[in-house]
Amino acid sequence: MKISYRWLARHVDLTGVDPKALANELTLSTAEVEGVERFLPHLANITIGHVVEREKHPDADKLSRCSVDVGAGEPLQIVCGAPNVRAGLKVAVATVGTELPGDFKIKKSKIRGVESNGMICSERELGLGEEHDGIWELPLELTVGAKLGAALGLEDWVIEIDNKSITHRPDLWGHRGVAAEVAAILRRPLKALELTLPATGAGSSCPVRIESDACSRYMALHIQGARATRSPLWLKSLLLAVGQRPLDLLVDLSNFVMLDLGQPNHLFDARRIGGSGIVVRKARGGETLATLDGVERKLEPSDLLICNGDEPVALAGIMGGEGSKVTGDTSHLVLEVASFHAATVRRTSARLGLRTDASARFEKSLDPALAPKAAAHLVRLLQAEQPEVKITAPATDVGTWKDASKTIRLRGARVRTMLGAPLDDAAITDILVRLGFGVTKDGDALSVQVPSIRATKDIGIEQDLVEEVGRIYRYGNITEVPLQGVLVPPPRDERRRLVRRIEDRLAGSARFHQQLSYSFVPDTTIEKLGQQATPHVEVLNPITEGASRVRRSVAVSLLPLVEPNRRRFDDVRLFEVGKGYVPVEGAEPQELHEVAFVIARTPRKSGASFDDTSLAHAQGVVEDLVRSLGLEACAWSRCETPAAWAHPGRAVALRLGADSSVIGEVAALEPGLARALGLAGELESDVALARLSIDALLAAAPRARRYTPLPQFPATRVDVALALPSEKTAGEVKAALERSGKGLVAALHLFDIYAGERLGAGRKSLAWHVTLQAPDRTLNEADVKKFLERVEREAAQLGGELRRE
Amino acid sequence: MTYDAQAVRALLDEILAALASAPESDETRALRERLARFTALSGAELTPALALEASAIPLGAMRVFPKEARGQVGAKANAMKQAADAALAQEKEAALALALAEERTGKGFDATLPPPLPSRGSLHPITQVTRELEDLFTSMGWTILDGPEVETEHFNFDALNISPDHPARDTMDTFWVKTAPGAERLVMRTHTSPVQVRAMKRLTPPFRAIVPGKVFRNEALDASHEHTFHQMEGLVVGKDISVGHLIGAMKTLLRGIFGRDIEIRLRPGYFPFVEPGFELDARCPFCKEGCSVCKRSTWIELLPCGMVHPNVLRAGGIDPEQWTGFAFGLGLSRLVMLRFSIDDIRHLLGGDVRFLEQF
Repeated sequence: MKISYRWLARHVDLTGVDPKALANELTLSTAEVEGVERFLPHLANITIGHVVEREKHPDADKLSRCSVDVGAGEPLQIVCGAPNVRAGLKVAVATVGTELPGDFKIKKSKIRGVESNGMICSERELGLGEEHDGIWELPLELTVGAKLGAALGLEDWVIEIDNKSITHRPDLWGHRGVAAEVAAILRRPLKALELTLPATGAGSSCPVRIESDACSRYMALHIQGARATRSPLWLKSLLLAVGQRPLDLLVDLSNFVMLDLGQPNHLFDARRIGGSGIVVRKARGGETLATLDGVERKLEPSDLLICNGDEPVALAGIMGGEGSKVTGDTSHLVLEVASFHAATVRRTSARLGLRTDASARFEKSLDPALAPKAAAHLVRLLQAEQPEVKITAPATDVGTWKDASKTIRLRGARVRTMLGAPLDDAAITDILVRLGFGVTKDGDALSVQVPSIRATKDIGIEQDLVEEVGRIYRYGNITEVPLQGVLVPPPRDERRRLVRRIEDRLAGSARFHQQLSYSFVPDTTIEKLGQQATPHVEVLNPITEGASRVRRSVAVSLLPLVEPNRRRFDDVRLFEVGKGYVPVEGAEPQELHEVAFVIARTPRKSGASFDDTSLAHAQGVVEDLVRSLGLEACAWSRCETPAAWAHPGRAVALRLGADSSVIGEVAALEPGLARALGLAGELESDVALARLSIDALLAAAPRARRYTPLPQFPATRVDVALALPSEKTAGEVKAALERSGKGLVAALHLFDIYAGERLGAGRKSLAWHVTLQAPDRTLNEADVKKFLERVEREAAQLGGELRRE
Repeated sequence: MTYDAQAVRALLDEILAALASAPESDETRALRERLARFTALSGAELTPALALEASAIPLGAMRVFPKEARGQVGAKANAMKQAADAALAQEKEAALALALAEERTGKGFDATLPPPLPSRGSLHPITQVTRELEDLFTSMGWTILDGPEVETEHFNFDALNISPDHPARDTMDTFWVKTAPGAERLVMRTHTSPVQVRAMKRLTPPFRAIVPGKVFRNEALDASHEHTFHQMEGLVVGKDISVGHLIGAMKTLLRGIFGRDIEIRLRPGYFPFVEPGFELDARCPFCKEGCSVCKRSTWIELLPCGMVHPNVLRAGGIDPEQWTGFAFGLGLSRLVMLRFSIDDIRHLLGGDVRFLEQF
């Protein structure tokens, strides 16, 4: 909201107060100031001139050659095209070098052969209105050579207040409210303002009936003999300063009163309203209203209407109707000043996307006591400009409003402990009184009377008064105090420790980059996964179409990242720790805390080692991770229920030890997805993904870490290769070798897989390094021989044999 | 002892002289002939290598010498050999030293050759800053809490004193979650503040807690606006907790982040769940006279904070007459951007490895 410094000065003496300093005061005590700017800064450079001579331009009928005295040296020769320029006028002169709005710099020039040393300006050229009938004829008493801004008292600064910082302060939506703050801060009195209605005629008042409790007060006033003339300069310039376009006196005064007191009001053409009486009621389904902006609005039963009899003429508190607006020939007006229910106005305004200066104020909960003040203010201002204006009948004033003022008990001790400031009761009282509160003693506490203008919304409880005291006292005057108390270490946060260890392992030795993703999954990804029918948590109002679903698993977030990164890197390794959400019928969604990662690489050339695949590496990463966490060893098996992204034939389920439940899965990418994810052709990739449940990892009991004594006797290494039917698994062979060792197998490492002509069709060979070791002796040839014999028997059991080179 | 070629040559002459005392025979002639190669040399020409060779000849033909001369000849030949061996060993040492000195000059070494880098991973910058703050706060006895990202309307709004028609709901552009008719409405949490009330219900005062996490606002994306970003909530509930304590905690926080004292100021700010409520500005750590980061104001709006509203304490089952508290909501994403001079918030969740690998 824009606040004019000059406007504030109508309410509080600002002598000696720098506008920027004032803005800083407001920032520190009241509301956030976003900026301070000079209003029409060029006015300071416009000079008041006197047209000494005027003659027709020798070569142009519509131009004049003028001689203008600007108070310095010889009069200037200026060519002017305005029809009203004539000798004797006092005019606004932009001399050579002056800048006007719109990056327009006055230069010395020749116009049709005649030298011109400046420009005689119109009001519009100076940014002071729309009038462009001719140059601005200034009052003759102005001094030649003086600067226009200062001479007319137009110098002003615009203070922009962040609206968000005053949503709770209906009183600050008008200049007088802000001035009251300034008065309290500067310890200067708020100037008196006459806000009682002048005596009225005894005619019949405008009948009003309120049919909805969304209107707590409605005042209507007949105004006779008003004319929509041009507004005086003081009014126009103040409105322009705060960004309002002046139209005519009636509209401008209506706006002025709203911006002055914060109370919106509306002027109807009496010919179009009041004949059958004003009715305030809720809309009926299917009703429509053409608002002032020319838009036909579809109404709903929650909308509040002002009606002429039964015919809607205005959307209450938001905008008037096109049909009842004041026009040039209006002379009989009905002034509406009312109090509408904040939430009703807010809902309608939000639904229609129609935010107006009026709705912005009503939705803050205005004080009903403002209505008669605003009515009086408007009438007095209007009569000051047009003394012939008459109020022919007493104001109608109906409604069920209550005086919002209240009394709150405030304990000085509470103020002192909450603020941590040494304020005695006298100092507290002083601040509250400056802010317009009444304060009396109430035992050892204070009884604070809150005026209605502060009581509708902001001030309701003791803490609200603590804030009032604190902000005027200034938070900057409060000294910092260290927190004190018994220092107990916070409980061990196992989950966070676990997550950190996982992150460190993956970002460390496993060489992954950590990613944090959006929780929304694009529909395009969902479609690629064929999960359109899978229930997802969904938002009603997505940021864009097709981004409404919330991920069920963190792994899904990584899929769209593979292709863009693979364009730039041969080896992409990303991981994420985060949450997925699974909807649950009739309950809050289930939260899944997961870690997921992806490995995507250029495919290996043929002849690469059998375990140089992304899937094998991914399993290795998981195995290493699980070991580093000190958990039971991984038990791998075919995954029976692979995720949508998983290759159903190359998916492994992870258990910690053979007996646990599945806590995660590792899989190659579903082969059908590669093309959809853009991983075909030159971006063809060997992709594997993994997903582990952090909840399950947390639940798994870590094994106590214990030192294993170093072996005292040397180990013996034996390499064995077993030829087997292809369907036999490495797991089966591993178990067979362990059985064969009778407790002597210290380590097993599969180093080669071979399938080829020499073995015959349907057969393969697995070659292992076997480390045999006994705790109590050095093994000899006989031990190895016995081991190999047992391996031979185990191999036979599996339908294969021990290969001899 | 240095090698004396003349002395060695003299020994050779003496050996020859001893040979002269032997009866002339084919053997003596043959021996003389074999030695002639060396005797032809002047003293200076008899190098240790030649001396060693020469010394071996009489030693291998001792019986040619007269019996009585053999002892002398043997001793002299050995002396020759020893002198030669010692000199050769010395030469070898010297050559080695020379080679080392040559090696040490590093001739041909290019210190600017790019080294092969081990590939590495990285922790997300948000994780890094979050950890720093977590460590800072836990070291002061604060607990770290977590809460759901899909939150109930109750915890996100109502329990925080934001009634359904509160205009503050407008300022937090909320993602509403589809729910069955009649079921409690859910939102993507618009702030980490709902965990305040969850914490109050779980913990017994006095307590101090922080809540880092992801939050959501339905805002159009640009370089400084994201619909998903990270915050860190802070909450302290205790006896006689004051604005002074809040200021103290915030200064400590900034000291932890920037490693030095940073001037702060509190000014009024409105948030329904605190009363009084503040905006906390920090003196711009990057400039003295105003820069693009602080928009020429020398102050950076860093976090909203305030004294916990009694209605919020009540919603958490805490008696506001007994206990008071303060809360703050730090914009983690913004802090990370400040810390690393990141100019576009969209990089944070964009998943571009070129961005991630910088951290």
